[in-house]
Amino acid sequence: MSRSLVHAWLRDWRRRPLQRLLTLVAVVIAVAVVLAVDLANQSAQQAFDRSMDEVAGTATHQILGPAGGFAETHYRDLRLAGWRATAPIVEGPARLPDGRTIYVLGVDPLAEGAFRGVASDIGDAPVQRLVTEPGTILPPRGWWADAGREHEDRLILESAAGRFAVTLLDRAAEGDEAATDVDGEGASLWVTDIATAQTLLGRQGRLDRIDVSLDDAALETLAEQLPDGLELVPVAARDQASRELAQAFRINLTAMSLLALLIAAFLIYNTQTFAVLRRREVLASLRLVGAGRRALFGVVMLEALLVGVIGTLLGVLLGIGLAQVLVGQVAQTMTDHFFVVAVTEVAPRPLALLAVIALGVGLSLLAALAPAWEAARVASPGRLGRGRLERRARRGLLGLAVAALVLLAAGGVVLRLGAGGLVASFVGLFLLITGFVLLLPLVLAAALRGLARLGRGQTLPRIGVRSLERSLSRSAPATSALTLALAAAISVSVMVGSFRDSVEQWLGQALTSDVYVVPVAPAAARSGARLPAEWGQALARIAAAESVSTGSSQDTPSDVGMIELYVVAPHPAWLDDLPLLRAEGPTEALDRRLRERDAVLVTEPFAAHHDVAVGDRLEIRVEDGRRVFEVAGVYRDYGSPQGTVLMLTQRFYAGTPGAEGVGSFGLRLPEGADADVAIERLEAWLAERETAAMVTRPGDIEQESMAIFDRTFAITHLLRVITLLVAFIAIFGALMALQMERAREFATLRSLGLLPGGVRGLVVFQGAVLGGFAALAAIPLGLGMGWILIEVINREAFGWGMDLRLPWGEVGETVLLGIGAALLASAIPAWRMARMRLVPALREQP
Amino acid sequence: MVQRGSGVVLSLAGLGFGYPGEGRVLQGVDLDLAAGERVAIVGESGSGKSTLLHLAAGLEPADAGTVRLAGQALAGLDEAARTRLRRVQVGIVFQSFHLIPTLTALENVMLPLELATDLGAAQRRERARAQLAAVGLGAKEGREPEQLSGGEQQRVAIARALVHRPALILADEPTGNLDSRTGEAVFALLLEQVRATGCALLLVTHSDALAARLDRVLRMQDGQLQDLAARASAR
Ligand SMILES: Nc1ncnc2c1ncn2[C@@H]1O[C@H](COP(=O)(O)OP(=O)(O)OP(=O)(O)O)[C@@H](O)[C@H]1O
Ligand SMILES: [Mg+2]
Repeated sequence: MSRSLVHAWLRDWRRRPLQRLLTLVAVVIAVAVVLAVDLANQSAQQAFDRSMDEVAGTATHQILGPAGGFAETHYRDLRLAGWRATAPIVEGPARLPDGRTIYVLGVDPLAEGAFRGVASDIGDAPVQRLVTEPGTILPPRGWWADAGREHEDRLILESAAGRFAVTLLDRAAEGDEAATDVDGEGASLWVTDIATAQTLLGRQGRLDRIDVSLDDAALETLAEQLPDGLELVPVAARDQASRELAQAFRINLTAMSLLALLIAAFLIYNTQTFAVLRRREVLASLRLVGAGRRALFGVVMLEALLVGVIGTLLGVLLGIGLAQVLVGQVAQTMTDHFFVVAVTEVAPRPLALLAVIALGVGLSLLAALAPAWEAARVASPGRLGRGRLERRARRGLLGLAVAALVLLAAGGVVLRLGAGGLVASFVGLFLLITGFVLLLPLVLAAALRGLARLGRGQTLPRIGVRSLERSLSRSAPATSALTLALAAAISVSVMVGSFRDSVEQWLGQALTSDVYVVPVAPAAARSGARLPAEWGQALARIAAAESVSTGSSQDTPSDVGMIELYVVAPHPAWLDDLPLLRAEGPTEALDRRLRERDAVLVTEPFAAHHDVAVGDRLEIRVEDGRRVFEVAGVYRDYGSPQGTVLMLTQRFYAGTPGAEGVGSFGLRLPEGADADVAIERLEAWLAERETAAMVTRPGDIEQESMAIFDRTFAITHLLRVITLLVAFIAIFGALMALQMERAREFATLRSLGLLPGGVRGLVVFQGAVLGGFAALAAIPLGLGMGWILIEVINREAFGWGMDLRLPWGEVGETVLLGIGAALLASAIPAWRMARMRLVPALREQP
Repeated sequence: MVQRGSGVVLSLAGLGFGYPGEGRVLQGVDLDLAAGERVAIVGESGSGKSTLLHLAAGLEPADAGTVRLAGQALAGLDEAARTRLRRVQVGIVFQSFHLIPTLTALENVMLPLELATDLGAAQRRERARAQLAAVGLGAKEGREPEQLSGGEQQRVAIARALVHRPALILADEPTGNLDSRTGEAVFALLLEQVRATGCALLLVTHSDALAARLDRVLRMQDGQLQDLAARASAR
């Protein structure tokens, strides 16, 4: 490879630094976005797994009892019976003075042994103090750094049971040298002695669970020895449901990252191809003076390789930075829904790195390959005219369209068959999207031809439209990228909007009381907190309520694994308000069935996940042991993605003295009663009770729920912005390239008398045409994607059905956004073209 | 023959130009072109002939001296005003045609009418058709430049330069990209059309034979214009 050859080729970097830099920037941004989304995705999973491990440790099984826990004497009995590999746990959330939620894990440090990483590496000195001094607690190692607290400081923790002062122990200060905390591990777990945890969480004399490490042989023996009311449950079953949920959340992210990948690929392809095409006459001339075909090819590919490698390196760095932003968002969502998680560090997976290298370097090379090969092959510069290339591109359109139709058909078939679950649904969706996008260039060409025909006699607009059509290989990919980004935005607003509407509607239906009395507890702990059941009558009297309902959520074992059971004593005629999807007979009969026989209702996601239908039977553990319940109906509910079983109080407590505590009271006031007066009286009464409780109204609950909902989808919006940004750069690059290529034409027009303002207008007009086309094409694609997300993907992943809502306002917004982006992207080229020096441009070779 | 108003169409006085870091290309060029006058410029390659035409058309500002187009000094005008003056007063014929590739022959000819006049669409079409017929291309008005031969393209360019009846035609080697027979025909057509419309012509050529067929021949040398006829008579 001769030096002058390399020189001749690379000179362009000095002549047109802006265009060449754009190529590099394209690779950087594409790589960064794809990597960042993957990192965020992966760190969410890691944080989740870690939380599971921290809490569950290496136990193979857990002994669980009723929701309120069970007597700790059971644990003593087990130890006495010779079961050594057991560890008692009391756990629950609490709140720091600064409002952050932590997770308190009460362990018996002496029994922990093999179970938990966080707890087992406590040094001897702290263990001594934990066990002997009540009220001592070990914050996670990472917490100290920015907490501004010191060893031995006292701190107030707030929990469902009240407020308590604790003494903070720093492991390091206690001489705990041996411990090696893995980065981020235990970031949210506050470990304390079981006695302290019982006090803190209001569980005196009770345990939440006993962790057990067992082999299969010992399993049956232990199961037989367990007293009534206790269950031996494999650990996997316990977190299965939560895992599924995290899975669904990841799918959302993965869908977005795949879209980002697609758009990024467009961006790189577009700029790299242009980088070579732009200099095809250099290639042709070099060929004429005798440069070897292979040498030419080599020098072009060398440049593409350099751009790819440098761009990928910078992109990886930028991506890791960007990931930090995304990860913060993800952690927030996970905390709202699953656990208190803290994500501190993210490192790219080898596979993800490979993928972005393939994208950045591989695609750069691939994109340069075709034009380089062509240029090196052809001997005469005249045969390399842009027109010829474009004619070939236009002939390629037909092949592209055929491929598109095949993909569309394949996608339709895959979705139609519905086999293969979520992965197949995603494959189907992406086949459809790719098919649609491949069809776009043909449609764009036709649309431009149509516009040109319309504009007969309007010479200037016709020039604009026709030159777009002639540069189809440039304008089509950029338009496709913009279409894709806008469609993604539309589909997200369809999906999230429909979801939000349905949830709102459901909340309105589900909250049938006028006033609620609930325990004071951090949001994450609310389902476990209880109020005295006997309050019911007093509350009704004070508020002059027509009727009182109660409801309590709890996890309980069943023959389909751990399930969430919602035990209710509803208002009269409650079934009229419940959005029943499937049930037999009139509601009066159903109500009677639920009251008098062992029957339950299940939510839509529950039915989907466990594949149960009306008439099926479930064995569920209730207060006095396991019984078989018939599924009497399915209703719509968005309260929990893994699904809920609804049971009436009298069935749950049948044959027992009844409930001691309930999760919440709902009071229905008489028609025309003043809720504010009732609330005031209730609050006065509650202030004198020992158990902390508060009064809320449906509106408050709705507001809080919707706030959490919106935070969950905040990340989707963020990703939407990022995809739009990438698409913006794609369209900017394309318009820039397009106009540079047409510099000679613009100079000619200027010499004929077109004013600088006219040039600006022409360039902006072209941007508007492309933006308008992308926006229009994005509407059907976006609505279709949204429909598939709702009807296929969401049903598959969550089991949730929802009513399709067409957010025309947001669709309109997105369309304007697309056109706006294109106009904005044409601003710089317009300005440059209008200010261009005419003579050099006129002297350019045609 | 159309009679144009008398007076000076183009007046260059003390015109100078140089590229940054290079020597002077033009140095004190003086030239007055009367209405309807046809002048040829000859000279070595690289002597600055094209540069002179660019300055005269106001495509690039001179760095010394003045250019007056139809009595208007260019120096005081901004880009837009210069463009407005140019599109009414000047028609340009380039060596490499410079037709707009995305427009048909007819649309190319209609372009100056759209930019420089306020004629309606129908009138523009009619005038452009007539002009295209005048250069013998009436039958090919719907063709795109790519579908025309080099000579045909240059005839379209001539029609485009003349259609709005400018006072001055600037032509930079209009036959330079054509073989000698075609070049001869195009040149004859250009002269005939210029005569028919009565506009002035400033033409750059390498061919002394072609140059001799105009009213006056000037040689570009050392950045200045010398009147060949005047020198001949002095000898
Ligand atoms: N962009 C530029 N930068 C520097 N010098 C330039 C540039 N363009 C032209 N020149 C120089 O200006 C001088 C005049 O160029 P010009 O094109 O006017 O010559 P010309 O007489 O038209 O030549 P030809 O007969 O070959 O067309 C030449 O010496 C050329 O090298
Ligand atoms: Mg020249």
